[in-house]
Amino acid sequence: CTDDFVEKNTDPNAITDVTPDLLLPGIIRTGVNEMVNQSWSIGNIVIQHTAKIQFVSEDRYTWGDRDGLWENMYNNLRDVQLLLELSQKNNANNYRGISLIMRAWMYSILTDAYGDVPYSEATKGVSGILQPKYETQEVICNGILNDLKTASELLGPGEVVVGDLIYNGDVSKWKKLANSLRLRYLLRISDKKDVKADMQAILSNPTEFPVFTSADDNGTMRYLTSAPNQFPLYTARQGSFDEFRLSTNLGDKLTALNDPRITVFAQPTDASVAAGTPKYSGVPNGLNEVAALDYNGGPNNISRAGALFYKGSITDRGLNVAKGYILSYHELQFILAEAVKKGLVNSTKTAQFHYEEGIKAAFDYVDVDMPANYLKNPGVAYNDASALALIGTQKWISLFFSGLEAWFDWRRTGVPEIKAGVDNVNSGKVPVRFAYPRSEQTLNPNSLNEAVTRQGPDNYNTHVWWDL
Amino acid sequence: MPFSRKSNAEKTITGKVTDEGSIGLPGVSVIVKGTTTGTISDSEGRYSLAVQDDATTLIFSYVGYLSEEIAIGNRMAVDVVMKPDARNLNEVVITALGIKQESKRLGYAVQEIKGSELDKARETNFVSGLAGKVAGVQVMSSPSGIGGSARITIRGDKSLDINKNQPLFVIDGVPITNALTGSSGRDFQELDYGNGASLINPDDVESMTVLKGANASALYGSRGANGVIVITTKSGKNSKGLGVSVNAGLTFENPLVLPDFQKVYGQGNNGEFSFVDGNGGGIRDGVDESWGPKMDGRLIAQHDSPTSNGYRGGDISLIDDGQLGSPADLAARGTITPTPFVPGNNLKEFYETGITNNTNVSVTGSNEKGDFRLSYTLLDQKGIIPNTDIKRNTFAINTGYNLSPKLTVRIAANYVNSTSANRPNLTYGTESIIYLLHCWMGQHVNLNSLKDYWIPGMEDRQQFNFNYNYHDNPYFNLYENTNSQNANRIFGNISVKYDFTKWLSLQLRGGTDFNNDLRKRRRAFSTQRFPFGSYREERVRNGESNFDFLLTANKDFNENFTFGANIGGNHQIATTNNFEVTAPQLLIPGIYSFNNTRVALVSSIQDINKVVNSLYGSVQFGYKNFLFLDVTARNDWSTALTLPAIADSLGQTINSYFYPSASLSAVVSDILPMPEWVSFGKIRTSLAQVGNDTDPYRFTSGYGRSDPWGDYPVYSSTRTLVNYNLKPEISTSFEIGTEWRFLKNRAGLDFTFYNINTRNQILPSVPVSITSGYSNRIVNAGEIRNYGFEVMLSGSPVQTQNFKWDVNVNWSANRSKVIEFDGEVTDYQMAERHGVSIRAQVGQRMGDMYAIGFKRVEDKNSPYFGEKVLNESGRYLSTSNRIKVGNYNPDWMAGIRNTFTYKNFSLSGLLDIRHGGQIFSETFVVGLEAGQLEETLEGRENGYDINQPGNGVIGKGVIQNPDGSYRVNDVKLTAREYHQSRTGNRDIPEGGIFNASYAKLREVRLGYMVPAKFLSKAKIKGLNVSVVGRNLAVWSKVPHIDPETSSLSGGTIIPGIESVGMPTTRSWGFNVGFSF
Repeated sequence: CTDDFVEKNTDPNAITDVTPDLLLPGIIRTGVNEMVNQSWSIGNIVIQHTAKIQFVSEDRYTWGDRDGLWENMYNNLRDVQLLLELSQKNNANNYRGISLIMRAWMYSILTDAYGDVPYSEATKGVSGILQPKYETQEVICNGILNDLKTASELLGPGEVVVGDLIYNGDVSKWKKLANSLRLRYLLRISDKKDVKADMQAILSNPTEFPVFTSADDNGTMRYLTSAPNQFPLYTARQGSFDEFRLSTNLGDKLTALNDPRITVFAQPTDASVAAGTPKYSGVPNGLNEVAALDYNGGPNNISRAGALFYKGSITDRGLNVAKGYILSYHELQFILAEAVKKGLVNSTKTAQFHYEEGIKAAFDYVDVDMPANYLKNPGVAYNDASALALIGTQKWISLFFSGLEAWFDWRRTGVPEIKAGVDNVNSGKVPVRFAYPRSEQTLNPNSLNEAVTRQGPDNYNTHVWWDL
Repeated sequence: MPFSRKSNAEKTITGKVTDEGSIGLPGVSVIVKGTTTGTISDSEGRYSLAVQDDATTLIFSYVGYLSEEIAIGNRMAVDVVMKPDARNLNEVVITALGIKQESKRLGYAVQEIKGSELDKARETNFVSGLAGKVAGVQVMSSPSGIGGSARITIRGDKSLDINKNQPLFVIDGVPITNALTGSSGRDFQELDYGNGASLINPDDVESMTVLKGANASALYGSRGANGVIVITTKSGKNSKGLGVSVNAGLTFENPLVLPDFQKVYGQGNNGEFSFVDGNGGGIRDGVDESWGPKMDGRLIAQHDSPTSNGYRGGDISLIDDGQLGSPADLAARGTITPTPFVPGNNLKEFYETGITNNTNVSVTGSNEKGDFRLSYTLLDQKGIIPNTDIKRNTFAINTGYNLSPKLTVRIAANYVNSTSANRPNLTYGTESIIYLLHCWMGQHVNLNSLKDYWIPGMEDRQQFNFNYNYHDNPYFNLYENTNSQNANRIFGNISVKYDFTKWLSLQLRGGTDFNNDLRKRRRAFSTQRFPFGSYREERVRNGESNFDFLLTANKDFNENFTFGANIGGNHQIATTNNFEVTAPQLLIPGIYSFNNTRVALVSSIQDINKVVNSLYGSVQFGYKNFLFLDVTARNDWSTALTLPAIADSLGQTINSYFYPSASLSAVVSDILPMPEWVSFGKIRTSLAQVGNDTDPYRFTSGYGRSDPWGDYPVYSSTRTLVNYNLKPEISTSFEIGTEWRFLKNRAGLDFTFYNINTRNQILPSVPVSITSGYSNRIVNAGEIRNYGFEVMLSGSPVQTQNFKWDVNVNWSANRSKVIEFDGEVTDYQMAERHGVSIRAQVGQRMGDMYAIGFKRVEDKNSPYFGEKVLNESGRYLSTSNRIKVGNYNPDWMAGIRNTFTYKNFSLSGLLDIRHGGQIFSETFVVGLEAGQLEETLEGRENGYDINQPGNGVIGKGVIQNPDGSYRVNDVKLTAREYHQSRTGNRDIPEGGIFNASYAKLREVRLGYMVPAKFLSKAKIKGLNVSVVGRNLAVWSKVPHIDPETSSLSGGTIIPGIESVGMPTTRSWGFNVGFSF
């Protein structure tokens, strides 16, 4: 009486087989959305682009269990693993190359946020590995760089890619993204390792290893106007959006530089608008709840974050500005400026050229006209003596709402100055990593403990391997 | 005449035994007192018995009737009218597969409830009406207003799958589905559309038998493992001629427990508030907490204050510029004229009086050929929450016809149409009005000011509110964002029974339960979570069909041995077919149609099928009517444990499972000599196994479709790791009990001990490190042991001609423990909410709750041992890991019913007691944080200046000095800081844990049966009038909420965690019943 049971227990609606184009858009969307959310909830705050006036715990460094990044990235990496297997089986080199880039990018964020993390054994649950080992950041960084190099070699014309939310199937741009990311990650570890040869090898061979040559190459994701694919903050409640305000650190810097990008990053205060004289004014990071709400006479006198990152994100201009971010041409220019300045690479262009090219591209990126004399302004104008500070500062400004990249970069360069707020509860230290998710204590304790023993206490203040 | 015996000096006595309706009673045993001389009455109730001359008294006894002792005197004819045994202690009960059995034959505990106990003081959800009435049964209603779901468990949780602990409901022999479908938390929307059994109509219930353990329910197979509730619907069988009955009730409801708010301070922070745009543009007007100015009549600009242009302060979107509160808007509105700042949050006035009207009319008839009962019931209910309702029409027919003396056909069918214009949103989040009303609404807000909920000129476009930051206007929510339901359900069966001989019969039966439910969710423009509105339709179709045969033999071999046997088979098909379409955003406000979608429609479909085939049989032996043995066996074959072709090579299939049971009953009072005052004594014991399968498609590891990106379809793989080697679960239960009656049945005692071990539990979602790529996996693991006691006491302390006092007590205690897991799994999280997780750990009790707790002094030698530890800034420190903070299961439960009868009046009350166990209250945690609750006045007696007397609080606890010693806390916090620190700003859920013990006055009924002599002219019979009340009072230490509250999450009722639920209701009203 069980003859038809096999058929009966076959789910009529289950999809048990997919093609690469069905997996790719989900992988990109999940990863990029996660970084927009990370930017808003922690990245902008710790790097003092924004500051909170209500529910101020992030700003006072009681970060709690920051497991969202961990959960969402590893969950997404399972699909990456499946896509890699699928494309390898089908000899679909372009899908495989793109998967490797996405994998490298996601692991770089995980390791830069947490330090040692599960890597080569990760996402292998099907093979019975339920408690993957954590690997050292050094091993992971090598893996990331290898993946990117392999990707660059695999990617090429011929095979059509569908479901590409970044470049709409333009494989040559993925190739540029792979090599540009290599430069980012080589610079990241440059205090720890000699990366000169590797950087030079890329830059000397633009045919084999092309990098971004203009803002057209930007590795960014343009959101849609319709639900549920709008800029993630579009659906936030007004009150939740208003908890985040312009930080004095960024606000004062932009005001001092007479930098019109403030009109995109922030909104003039309500009080100044009511008085007919729109003005921008921030709030310091890390105040306690009452002090933050009281600061400068209350929220009326504090600038909200830019409307283009909220309800304005579905306008034409908002679509251009509020984007998901992997890597941009302007960031690459700042990377090159620093590398040239530090003598890590020999370039036909000067550090100043890359610096100024970066600034111009950064203004374009947020759809703001750069004032004619901006590059000559004191505090902006290039000079060799303070070049690293200038480059770092402009890079920091340009990385508004760009995931956690500005924080990773600041931990390496120390530019600009970021000070813990007066009411911080982390002994005056600015966090330099996330603590591991609590769930790992019960689900993967041995591997976790091994990593903690090797790396140092599992708190916000333990430096990761590349962070001296 | 098997018992008769001839003797020399004798006479023959004849007579007729009848019931109170003068109908002859066959099979009544007639015995000469003090002898074994006796006979039984014939089919018309007549008997003839030869007795010796010195015989003085005859004893007449019959199942279900009180024994009668009649003096013979010098009579030759003795007629007797037998009276039914009011306590039904010797009754016939319906057991597994609808088999009627004398209760004394049963080797396991069952408890019966008559329909008359349920159809007067009724609950809209039939299941909730069982609370407190049956030993070992626990009922938890979901906090969802009228017609919501209820979770019922018998003898505690046995499965680690929190959804798999409810009993099976069987109506007229055929299982019905008790699914809780489609209440998903997606898109912030958590709704409860009621569980399947909630639609059972009390007016149509003749009786209900609760089969408590696997022992009683072994024949129902896997789904009987958690017990079975066997319901028999009313039929026309016992009616004479044509009769019409009417039963009507009208009750009124109001909230049982509401939070106690402080009425001193209004919205704002640090004593400051002034409205400009409700968005942070004024002074603290974006803050939705009540730490604001004193509500002493001072003049403050508010959302309902008038403006210079004749609008309300909150009319901040008068210009259609797509921006809420733009400068142009504010200019158009004008300047706000401040008005007195006075208490407003008039919660009690917000809740309306609920009205429930229930009317049942039934027609019955019978003759020698057949019988029928037709019934119609109207339930019309208006909830205590504005614009919530239920209208339910139930039609039932139960009829039988004797086609020949040997062939009988019966049909029982029910059709229910249940509609609701709006069911409220649940749980913690903007979509729920309770989230606003009980947690966040400024204390100064006058609810009436929100009734006119559109901004003028922006009707259908922009709601008016006191706060535009986080919240929706509650009236806007209830009247515009409706969640309607229209459910049509048919359940019933057709059976044919053929009697081959007197002792052998065959029954064939087919039954179905089919539910078709259409649900529509509207969201208007300007809803916080849906700025462009949205519209969703869900079509939920589920049900099951059962086809079975049952061959029954009953043969008495001789006067000492009786024998009965059943052989049966069942083919069960369960199907679910759900279809859902959503318009995520609308084009034109106020039009709810899929043609009005702004973006691509999103749809999903769910198609689930499961088949279980079964063969089973049972044999019953009886010896001398005092020793009974019952043996059963069953084998199931389930599709759910069958690997689909795609996974065939990956594992092995064990889809067949066999399980037996045996039970023994001995009527010791008939075996051994007993003192006079013992009327009846019985010992029973049983041992049973039940196998269990799992949900269908557990072996399918597929890809799920997620929201498309423009034209690109998007898929992603499932995060559950499949196990291709699942084995069926097996639970083994043992039970022993005894039953005694004393003093001519005036007092009774029933005691049961049971022990249940459930092995190889199928855990559908064991978490694994997400770094493996998967978040959970399915495993067979674990053994749960349940053991407990059930005691039932009954007695009539006072019994006179006109007055009677009856007491019935049921008491039960259950412990469920985790005995072991497999090697890899050490603990298992069954559910989680608000940082509180319900975990099963080896050696620990089921239902344990874990959460971050307070750090305490651990040094036993310290004088401060056990005190909470604070940091230097006076805030409580937390434990680094989750600790055990409680258990949601009670230590024991009891129900006490007292009934007083005086002539035609009767008064009865049911007290329901639950002792022990804990509950977490999110209402408390957030209510403290938001400065709403009464307690938050501590520390702000004189406003907010911490230097003023009465202001600020030094929390109880100690601070660790740098040298490791402790000092008593000396840091004063502001009231707001202090009350928020009491739960570590929601990070220390231990601060929200309470002792969940309570006593509830569950039911009160005052009835009057109008004497027949008053009615003879009106041709009305049995007119009874009652005043009824339910949930009239609760005594507990849990503040602000009903301690009997659970939460609902994604279709799961989670006990022990209160998540801002709808208030439960107290109801009282009238009931009238009569027939003609």
